[in-house]
Amino acid sequence: MLPLRRHIAATLFLLATAAAAQQPRTTILLDPAHGGPDAGAHLANNVLEKDVTLAFAARLRAALGGANFAVLTTRDADPAAAIPPDQRAGIANHARPAACLVLHATGSGNGIHLIASALAANAPQRTIPWDTAQSTAIPQSLALAIQLDAAFVRARIPALLLRARLRPLDNLTCPAIAIELAPLDNPGGSPTPVTDAAYQQQAADAIAKALTAWRVQIAPQPAPQSTPQPAPPDTPPTGAAP
Amino acid sequence: MIPRYQRILFWCLVAAILIVAAFLYHAHRQTQRRLAAPADETPIAAPVSTSTQDVTLYLANDADATVAPSQVSFALPDDPTSRARALLDHLLNSYAQPGSAHPLQGGPAVEDVFLVPNTPSTDTHSTDKTETAIVNLTSAFCDRHPSGIQVETLTIRSIVQTLHAAFPRITQVRFLVDGQPRETLAGHADLTRTYSVTTENPQPTTSN
Repeated sequence: MLPLRRHIAATLFLLATAAAAQQPRTTILLDPAHGGPDAGAHLANNVLEKDVTLAFAARLRAALGGANFAVLTTRDADPAAAIPPDQRAGIANHARPAACLVLHATGSGNGIHLIASALAANAPQRTIPWDTAQSTAIPQSLALAIQLDAAFVRARIPALLLRARLRPLDNLTCPAIAIELAPLDNPGGSPTPVTDAAYQQQAADAIAKALTAWRVQIAPQPAPQSTPQPAPPDTPPTGAAP
Repeated sequence: MIPRYQRILFWCLVAAILIVAAFLYHAHRQTQRRLAAPADETPIAAPVSTSTQDVTLYLANDADATVAPSQVSFALPDDPTSRARALLDHLLNSYAQPGSAHPLQGGPAVEDVFLVPNTPSTDTHSTDKTETAIVNLTSAFCDRHPSGIQVETLTIRSIVQTLHAAFPRITQVRFLVDGQPRETLAGHADLTRTYSVTTENPQPTTSN
């Protein structure tokens, strides 16, 4: 009986794998800001922002991978030369991801700062100006920001949503949010630094949950049944008197 | 024996030398007094004719990412550009006070403020009286500004809204640093673009 059970289990596993493969994976692009000579903010204890964003991107990549997202990044290491914002936007726009997350860190403020582009929303056009490319995705970006905000509330991490003009955020054509990690104030204690592994993991898990909910929200609704259903035999014709 | 006329000539020459020496000494003292005169004109008390005015400063708050109006009263120059510069100096130095909700380091922050009409002066038919303010920040201010998207954005928003409140005809603001264009304020907020007071409508949301 044991080989038969193994055979059934293997068959079920193959069927599940095939079903998962048929469902397209949602691609998320992560952009750990700064890198190379561009160190970003100089945080406490001589920590550089470029190193924090890279470490946070690695945690986020693992969390998103566990939630069945395909993840692309603009950098996986500290490059020798700085990556200009236009190049980052170019990488993201060519990849056509479902969403872009631009990762930053700061020593000011408290909790997570969610930044959406301050551009006014515009309808999609045939030609998209580079400087205002994000304007066509503003409604989707704000919807994503609200999902992220709700996820941080559930994770008990303070979050602030604001809008700003920022490169490469303004140049992205996909729904995009900048996520800025700030120290976490503790009542009666010293703030949790942005380098804290548990804090980063908690934030990464919240983001993965938010994107999972957002994926359901943006998923195309099933098409309505177009096949006409036969009317019950006792139903009177439309417009006829009862 | 020296002739009498030579003795008279000698004493006349001595008298002339003394007179010229006295004249030169007097002229020297007068010149010294004239050169030293500007230093004595330094005012030792505030001019009593300048009255304080109520102005609205838009103060940033890092805790909730807002920029809120606050009424203050202080003396400002009459010249618009000097007035705008004094206003921004007062605003940015207020962030250096202890207990500031948006702490910045003090020191010189604004070199100049220029007000430029949005419509070229050659267009005499235009009724557009709006202006663009060009704020020339010091590199020292930018270099010591905290780095981060939120903190930099709030500083810029505070400057733009304060200028618009004091000069309603200012509808756009551009930034220079030491007279030159600069990519960002402190690594994040874009300084290459023109900030419009009509489209800058921050809607922060506090969740916790």
